[in-house]
Amino acid sequence: MWLDDVGLRYHRRGPWVLREVTVSLAPGEAAVVLGRNGAGKSTLLQLAAGVLRPSRGRVLDRPSVVGWVPERFPADQPFSVDGYLTAMARIAGLSSGETERTVRRWVDRLGLGPFRTVRLSQLSKGTAQKVGLAQAMLRPPGLLVLDEPWEGLDAAARELVPQVVDEVLAEGGSVLVSDHRGETVRLPGAREWLVAEATVVERPPSGEAAVAVVELAVPVGQVSATVARLRAEGHHVLGVRGQSAPTVATRPGAGPPSEVTR
Amino acid sequence: MSALVRFRLAGFLRTGRALAPVLAGLLTLGILYGGGRAQPAEAYGVSAVVLFPVLAWQTKVLLDVEPDVQRRLAVVTVGPAREYAAGLVAAAVAGLGLVMVALVFPWLVGGVTGPSLPGERSIPAGVALGLWAHLLALPGAVALGALASRVITRSAGYGVAVLTCGVVGALVFGVAKSAVPWLAPPLLPTARALVGPLPGSTALLLSGWALAWAAVVLSGYVRVRARRA
Repeated sequence: MWLDDVGLRYHRRGPWVLREVTVSLAPGEAAVVLGRNGAGKSTLLQLAAGVLRPSRGRVLDRPSVVGWVPERFPADQPFSVDGYLTAMARIAGLSSGETERTVRRWVDRLGLGPFRTVRLSQLSKGTAQKVGLAQAMLRPPGLLVLDEPWEGLDAAARELVPQVVDEVLAEGGSVLVSDHRGETVRLPGAREWLVAEATVVERPPSGEAAVAVVELAVPVGQVSATVARLRAEGHHVLGVRGQSAPTVATRPGAGPPSEVTR
Repeated sequence: MSALVRFRLAGFLRTGRALAPVLAGLLTLGILYGGGRAQPAEAYGVSAVVLFPVLAWQTKVLLDVEPDVQRRLAVVTVGPAREYAAGLVAAAVAGLGLVMVALVFPWLVGGVTGPSLPGERSIPAGVALGLWAHLLALPGAVALGALASRVITRSAGYGVAVLTCGVVGALVFGVAKSAVPWLAPPLLPTARALVGPLPGSTALLLSGWALAWAAVVLSGYVRVRARRA
């Protein structure tokens, strides 16, 4: 998919939110969109997904099936989780048999089983976000666009996002993710697009800026000491699995992390 | 597209917001038929005029029920053209429901009467012409309601202003000696035509006029939609 000299402004005489954006994403590639709040990350994602039409330039070779996970799932709707996903699957063109199988698979996978009959408006933010992820995956997307997908998700579901991304990439799809919390270290290998001053530049991962995720197995009794030692050495600990109270991800105060453990 | 039409109708009906336009329609018809009895075609001609604002309002309510982000999800899933069309078709289907209520209502309250003199229209002919008059009002009302919907007007105030100006314009420009009758949908001309005998050429002209007016307003809706999410 190509964005060719794309510009966007929301009003005819308004300021350019994005201009002269030329980027491309090949099948099997992922890109992380970074930038400060209000820089235009969501706008870029919505242009790529086809929600917004560029005021100038063109978006070329967009895959026919696009999955878009909006930043905030629109939960103010009079449907249950099951009813909503079933309707979205039918809207996406799935037959009734396929709809039933696909909805059941994603409900089970995302842990939405206990909420099947709950109305969308009664879901917690994280659970609603899972419904948002499920609706984007009902048909295997050629382009998956995730706008802050980790927002509000619990630890288990956070791990699921990279899995879903890997699956889309493995099937030849492209993935575009925005993130402002540093969660995208979970997507090693993704290209980095920086949105600033109404344009997009690609940041080559190199030298000190590059990070890798290292997974360690540590005896339970030594977890606290190991985590403390790693932090003292300046590493960014993403989280701890396999104990009742997981350690919250923290970033050391000084210096760029040379590696990341979890 | 039919799945999206069903989804939008379900959203409209389940929120309970469908109730307000239906009650307004029933109230309007109650006032209209409370005064006395008339021949079906004549009564239905006026009924189509008074239902025009209710049908337009109902369209706005139906299109505005869906959250903006859900509408964008529909654009991503089915593409813009089918998303626009599904909203308009859902509004037209809901409008047809109200039209059916309007056709049955006068018979329940004794607001219409059969032919009393030889040469007057039969009841089936009157009902058929009444259906035609309402079907002429529907496309214009759906187009006006769509133009007043939140995705176009962005604020409740502008939405009400578009709706009000459209309805007032339809009545003001539609009077018998209007200098610019074509600025309005042919609501009042249709009601006037149904009082006496209706030549085929007049029926054809009114039908073409109603469709052309709706097409022009809808093209404005589509043009603005193309620039907005």
